[in-house]
Amino acid sequence: MEQSAVMAGVVKILTPWVKNEDALGAVSMETNILDDLKVNSARLVDVVIAFEDEFDIEIDDEDVDTVNTVGDAVQLISSKLG
Amino acid sequence: MFTRHRRQRAVGWLLAPFWFPLASLFLRFRFGVRVADVASSRRVYRKVRSSSDKPLLICANHLTLVDSFFIAQALSPSWRFLTDFDSVPWNTPEESNFASTPLQRILIYIAKCIPIRRGGQREDIREVLDRVVYLLSRREVAVLFPEGGRSRTGRVDPEGGAWGIGRIVAAVEGCRVLCVYMRGDAQTTWSAYPARGDLLRVSLALIEPKSDARGVRRTRDLSQQVIGQLAQMEAEYFCARKGER
Repeated sequence: MEQSAVMAGVVKILTPWVKNEDALGAVSMETNILDDLKVNSARLVDVVIAFEDEFDIEIDDEDVDTVNTVGDAVQLISSKLG
Repeated sequence: MFTRHRRQRAVGWLLAPFWFPLASLFLRFRFGVRVADVASSRRVYRKVRSSSDKPLLICANHLTLVDSFFIAQALSPSWRFLTDFDSVPWNTPEESNFASTPLQRILIYIAKCIPIRRGGQREDIREVLDRVVYLLSRREVAVLFPEGGRSRTGRVDPEGGAWGIGRIVAAVEGCRVLCVYMRGDAQTTWSAYPARGDLLRVSLALIEPKSDARGVRRTRDLSQQVIGQLAQMEAEYFCARKGER
């Protein structure tokens, strides 16, 4: 899957959880999910499970620790997709 | 990690004859709070600890900054903590509330606390969770608040649980969770401290969360079982209070 398609999927999944919609308008690979988009950290697990469902992959707890930015999520998902 | 915790535990134990009585007096005169049927909750805690050597994590609802102190008081008398220092739960207080001055840092160090910064760097939070996992696996007891902070609505939010609890339970084989629901009669919502002279009602439930799921789903599943238990205990609390009126 193209990285741009993964990015679009990630942004689509994040959208309902985003509290800072201005940051969503200018989202990039460097956008921090918690600090910039203001996604509630307690809800990050729901976001990750949505990634699993959308891309049909399995993500471990340890993998979640590596996800800080939208780009981190895109790279993690891309690596799982092979 | 072994030396680090052993040292902290030893310092706390050596100073316990001084700080336990002082802490008890402070709580009594500063807040004048009592725990209803305290003998019953202490009996349950004693039984839970003696009935099995499986790891034990205490998870509680969170309404005031000093909940941990009163949970400790509800679970055991000070003198028993002195003779059985392992029964004093490790705690993870919010750094900005309890570790912002050198004196505070000393006090929480001897009181078996590992400060955590809510919303801090995930690596730092991960380190605290790893320390709790390590302590539980060594049969130490720890108390955590699954909501990750005081309940901003004054009620347990089944959807608002932090998933750190699930990670800990998943990482500790056979982990039992003693759910503690504690609320003062005058506690209508969250606050810094309980109302002076309030009567705290405490209920306890021992669960052993299990999940056949994998990865983050397992983590979420385990967290939800703990939070769900606390929410159920809260419903029972309000049901009982309604019946009293």
